[in-house]
Formats: sequence, C-alpha cells, structure tokens
Amino acid sequence: MPETTAVAWAEALDRVLARYDKNAESVLQACIDLQEEVHCVPPEAQVAIARALGVTTLRVKGVVSFYSFLSDTWLGEYVVYLSDNITDQMLGNRALAQRLCGRLGVEIGRVRGDGRVSVHLTSCTGLGDQGPAALINGQAVTRLGPERVDQIAQLIEARRPLAHWPGEFFRVVTNIRRSDGVFRKPVPPGEGIKACLGRGAQVTMPHTEELNPEDAGQAPLDRVSEEILKQIQASGLRGRGGAGFKTAIKLDTVRAQKGRERYVLCNADEGEPGTFKDRVLLMEYPDMVFEGMTIAALGVKATEGVIYVRGEYRFMKDHLEGALARRRQLGLLGKDILGSGLDFDVRIHWGAGAYICGMETAMCKSIEGRRGIPRRRWPLPVHQGFRKRPTLINNVETFAALATIGLNGGKWFARYGTEQSSGTKWFSVSGDVDRPGVYEYPHGVSLREVLRDSGARDAQAVMVSGASGTLVAEADFDRALAFEDLAGVGTLMVFGRQRDLFDVAWNFAHFFQHESCGLCTPCRVGTTLLVSILEKFKKGWGTQLDLEDVKLLATTMKLGAHCGLGQTAPNHLVDAITRFPHVFEGRMQTRDFTPAFDLNGALEEARQLAGRTDVAAFVPVH
Amino acid sequence: MAKTFFLDGKEIPFQDGQTILDAAMKAGEYVPHLCSSPLLDPHSSCRVCTVLVNGRPFSSCSQPAVAGQQVQSNAPEVRQLRRTIVQMMFTEGNHYCPSCEKSGNCKLQATAYYLGLHDNRFNQMFPKRGMDSSHPDVHLDRDRCILCEICVRASRALDHKGVFGAVGRGIKHELSVNSPSGTLVDSAIAPTDKAVELCPTGALQPKNRGFQVPIGERLYDREPINVVGLRQYEECVHGK
Repeated sequence: MPETTAVAWAEALDRVLARYDKNAESVLQACIDLQEEVHCVPPEAQVAIARALGVTTLRVKGVVSFYSFLSDTWLGEYVVYLSDNITDQMLGNRALAQRLCGRLGVEIGRVRGDGRVSVHLTSCTGLGDQGPAALINGQAVTRLGPERVDQIAQLIEARRPLAHWPGEFFRVVTNIRRSDGVFRKPVPPGEGIKACLGRGAQVTMPHTEELNPEDAGQAPLDRVSEEILKQIQASGLRGRGGAGFKTAIKLDTVRAQKGRERYVLCNADEGEPGTFKDRVLLMEYPDMVFEGMTIAALGVKATEGVIYVRGEYRFMKDHLEGALARRRQLGLLGKDILGSGLDFDVRIHWGAGAYICGMETAMCKSIEGRRGIPRRRWPLPVHQGFRKRPTLINNVETFAALATIGLNGGKWFARYGTEQSSGTKWFSVSGDVDRPGVYEYPHGVSLREVLRDSGARDAQAVMVSGASGTLVAEADFDRALAFEDLAGVGTLMVFGRQRDLFDVAWNFAHFFQHESCGLCTPCRVGTTLLVSILEKFKKGWGTQLDLEDVKLLATTMKLGAHCGLGQTAPNHLVDAITRFPHVFEGRMQTRDFTPAFDLNGALEEARQLAGRTDVAAFVPVH
Repeated sequence: MAKTFFLDGKEIPFQDGQTILDAAMKAGEYVPHLCSSPLLDPHSSCRVCTVLVNGRPFSSCSQPAVAGQQVQSNAPEVRQLRRTIVQMMFTEGNHYCPSCEKSGNCKLQATAYYLGLHDNRFNQMFPKRGMDSSHPDVHLDRDRCILCEICVRASRALDHKGVFGAVGRGIKHELSVNSPSGTLVDSAIAPTDKAVELCPTGALQPKNRGFQVPIGERLYDREPINVVGLRQYEECVHGK
C-alpha cells in the first residue's frame, strides 16, 4: 500500500465517525463510508472503529469479513466490480472482463502492482436490463461494450477522477415499458396520508367514546390506524418481495404488540439476480415508497423507519436523501405528521454486498450494525425484530402499493388482479428479449403474454422469480404469474434456444455458494458441494451418481437449511435436471462412477520426471 | 394438567416456552443435536436436531413446543437428513478420528455412530483454516470445527470472557479469537473454561493431557451418545 493511503485512513475515519452515533449500531455504516473513501478498512482502522464505537475489534473484523464490498486490504485507486449474473454473462461480460484486465495488465481479484486498480466479479447489480453492468468506485456503469471498456482502461491509466468521466457511462435508465392501473397515476406527495387521515376522522368508533379524557388525544390516531388496517384488509395486498404474505396480518400483529417502540423497515436489498423493479420504483417514485412507509407507520404507530438499500444502489444516495429532505420540509416526515399526532422519520441504512440481508431477520441484524446472519425463526420480526422490538418489514413495491391503497382505498386496489393475488405487479424482464425493462400487469397475466410483449426471441426457458425461483420450460408458458401459480418477486430471465442451460445452472450455483451466510451446515456445505458437482459436469466427467447426489443435497437443503436461501438454492438445479435432462446427459460419462480428478493426468508430472512413457506407467482405463 | 405434544406417537409433557428438544430430552427421548446445550441459548445452526412438526421441518432446539402438535423425529426422511448433514460435516472438515485425542469423547464421532454413518459420501474438501497452538494450555484446530459456535456462546455467557467470534461468510466462515494478536496466547482463555469443555469436536482441547484414558475406554466407547446425552442433560438441568 502506498504510504499516502496508509496515512489517509486515519483522517478519513475521523470524518466518518463524526457522522454517526457512537454506538455499536454504527459499525457497518462507518465501515462502508471508510471503504468508500479510502477503499479499505485495514486492521488498524478496525481497532480504531472498535474503540470509538465501544465494541470488540473481533466484532468489526466479523463485519468487514462478511460483506462483499468491505475489504481489510487496499483495493487500489480504482475498484471495478463487474456484474456477473447470467444475463451479464449472456451479454459477454467475461470476455469484456478479460479485455479490461488485458488493457490494464491486472488479474481478476488482484490489485495491480502500482496500486492503481483492481477488477472483481460480483453478484447481479440490479441493472439486468442495461448490462453488462459494473460498479466503479461504487458508481453504477451500464451498457459495457468493447469500446467503453477500452475508454475505461484509458481513463484509469490517465488517472482521471470519476467526476470527469463521460456522464453517459453512468446513465441508468428506468425502462418502464408498460404501466397498468395501480402505478399509472403516481400518488402525489402527502395525498395518500391525507386520505387516510380523512377516513379516520369520518369514522366514529364506539369504544373511543369510553376512553379516559387524558387518552382522548390519542384517539384520532387509533381510528386512523384502524381504518388503514381495514383498507389494507379490503385490498388483499400480499408482500411483493416474493413470499406473498398478507400485509394486513403483519400490520395487525405489529399493531397489537405492547410497548411504545416499534419500527417500519423497507426492504430495498433487491439482491435476487435479474431483479431491478425496486430500483426503478426508487428512481422514479421514491415519494410513493416513503408515503407507503408513513401510512404503515400510522397503521402500527411506529416511531422510526429505516429503508435498507443494497450497496449496489449507492448511486441513488443523493436522490433518496433529497426525497427524504423534501418530505421533511413538507411536513410529511418528522413531528406530528399533518396533525396526525404521529412522530415518524425515515433514515437510510446501506448494505454492502450481501444477498442474505434481504432475509428479514438478517436485515434486522445488519441494521443493528452486525453480520447479516438470519436469526432463528421464532419469535418473528413482527414480535421481536429490529432492536428486538415489533417490526413491520415490507418490500419497496409493497410500500408503493400501500400509498395507492391509502389514496384510492382497498376496494379500488382489489379490482385488479385475481382473487388470491390482488392488484398489479411489476415485473423485471431481462435476457433474450428485444425490450428488457419493467412491466406492470394485473396479477394473473400469463407468462406467454409478458414474453410476447417484451419481444422474447425463441425462448426455450424462463427463470421465474430470480435464482431462487423456478426454471420454466416452454410447455408451461401459459401458466399465470400470480401467488396461486407461478409465485415470486416478478423476475423473468429469458433464455433463447441458442443458450446452453448448463451455464444458467452453473452461474446460479456459484451465486448461492458466494451468498450463503455460512451459519447452517446444509446451506454452507450444500451450496459448495453443488458447485463442485457442476464443475465436474463442466469437464464432462458427470455421472449418474452425481445426479443422485444433487437430489440428495437438494432434499437435505430444502428440509434442513435454516432459512429461505439454503432451502431454495437447489431449486433451479432440480428444475434443470428434471425439465432439461439433455443438458446434463451431454456432460456425463456412461459409468455409475467417475472420479472427480484425472488420475493419469495427475501422474503426468511423475512420468516426466522418471522419463517413463511405457504402458506400465499409465493407469489402465476401462 | 400439563400440556402435551406427540413425539413419534408418544405423548410428551411440556411447559410454555419450552422447546421441542428440551421437552423431549426431559421426557427421556433423545433427539440428536450438536450445536445445542441446555446451558446456552439455541443457535439452530447444525440442523442435526431437525424434526417434522405437523409435516414441516423445524430445528427442535429453537422451536417452541405447542400443545397437540405431531412431531416426527424418527421418520425415514428425518433420519436420512441427519445422516447427510453429519456426512457434510465430515466432508467439510478434517476429522481423522484415529489420530485425534478427542476420539471416544467426541460428540461428532458419537453422533455419526448413532446415526449409522458408514462413509462421508461426498468429496472431501480438505480445508486449511489453520491451527492455533500459541497457548501453553489450550489448542485450537479450526479444521476440526463444525461452526456450532458453542464456544462463542459459552465464552460469552458462562465464562464471561467473549474469547471467540465468527468471521468470514459462507464456506469461508470460521472461528476467530478476540485478542490483540488474534491468537489464543494473549486471549483470556483457560483450559478449564466452559468454552473448551463444551466443544463437541476436537477443535478446542486442553493441552498436556493426551491419552490419559486409553482409546476404547472413553465416554462414548462405553455408552452410546443417546444414553450419555440424556444423562448429561439431566445433570445439567439439575445443576442449573
């Protein structure tokens, strides 16, 4: 590390620590800021952070070693992360990575000798509709091609600051291709809240008349809360993060908990490969998301809100902070919001490259400044979530939908979609389609219709709901996209007939191995074993026994893994083996068992050393 | 009248707040487990204690018992699951029983026998997470660690030292020591710590007492882990 940088962290750390409360919850945010400023969190800095925030050094080390974008060694002046989702790979990102590394004279994962640059691969960055994508010093870069890669190499060699790079490199577009009933007319800031307060004022609840005079001031808020719950119940809204849990039940449970402190968390971790609709919502309609959070806060009488945004979306920092500041100016956040009696504000908490943090309990830990390890299942976050207090956690799109329900009412929302899946859904469509982007449809639309509208080219398969979802073959394209049929987060990655679906399985297997938190045995070991089996197939050494092992591992992970990550990680592979067996059969030896290594190959060096070429020096091959 | 649930058809009494594992062990029904101890908060990471509750899988060490529920601990799919999980542990680490001082006193080994493991099935990973022999009285071999974090919890809650913590992620997840050098020598560890005593494998062991009891006459050589486990559980609960 050049000396200047070694000195720089100390000054930078002073600046960083001044931004945060001096407690354990600030550990992750302080590390992220320091990483952003000096491109590392060296062990000496970890000691200093631990001392300043009153935690052990080991706790800081645990955090730095957990999140992908944090590093205890210096990553150089320019840090390039190339998005490595299957859709990026289909657009040739690996060749571009080679090209970039060749131009810069650097190996993937290594810092160049002069400390100028390092190049890495990373999980999907949420730009699947405008890839191949990258993050350079934390800023999103889109639509990479040979020419752009060459320019980037030149700019790095010339040591040009990012601020002086062509703005076009950093242009992130929203690609909203289709709007339907719910999001066609965005909710103007405050209108959803006002409508909720108005409904609460109209209703007289019989029991409120019996309240003590000193409680009377609280009564209107109780009525508002009750009315919000009724509207959400009428809307039939289910969580848009993939699981599809009834929002009303969550809200009602949090509402019923004792104690004053309760929280509303917005899940903007959006780590599911191929998913980018939350990014688009936050870029286009941040007010609707915050409006929905505020309505939820009125519903559960929450004191504090946090939006957990994945580190990949750091380019939206000013945009989101600006939206929050505007809402505070308008009195839509802060003390006594629009005279409701509710004090509520929202702050942003940043992630740093960890898919697992999209899991509710892991997210709570992460916001507490810890490693994002999912907690045991009970008690649920609605009972004991963030800071062990009742916590309502919902996806970005769910909150945006809440804003429209707040304004237009639950019945209006339920007009769209199906009986079990009310409302509309935003779909992230990418892969082999002419018009990748975001599409809004009422729930229940057929997969085939979305494929037609997005200009799918000769699709042989679609991965529905990201890497943890379902690999759907053409025979099933008429199935409905809804919770009662093809459920999920609304992510469609389309694979044309020219694609080798083995590459899809290989990519997702590596993704899950990289993202497993490591807590439980079935997931930690299972994801690694699945990768090693696929590597064996890649060499053409697969056997029937390996396929049996995949099935055994899949069952073990599904039954045994601690959380949804491990339980769903083998799905894509089981789907691929079941629905596209030829993909694997072509990579198999005919025998039941083939070793995972080439015995004769391993002996080659010894033969050379011994100068042997005779038959007896070779292992007989049957 | 006490509330009850059904474990493989047998009625088990429990008190509110008690986990399925706790209630079962108290009633004399052994459910295999490695990351759980009656002295510590549940961790539900090893997943060996998984049972089916009304047909759905849960780790019994963290799942509260509910009246009337049907729990299966002996169903064929549960037995296969446990076997595969323990095979995964043997695959992930370097567990060479014949050369390990813990052999015969090792919960991992005893559990493998109890579950009828004949092989590791999968390809060995041969980790190189590193040893820590810096301390004169305690030895840490991370390649024998199954990441149950019993030492992490015990050192914090029982020894009041907080010597251990977890670092890394996924397959790189490993045990780390809280000391200026990151090794045991300048940590607060002592060979008599609960963290050392409760380690279910040969990862954490006191030094200088090799082969005091000959192989063949050790704890699990004499009795299988279901017998020892139930007895230890009772002693533990009474000791509390």
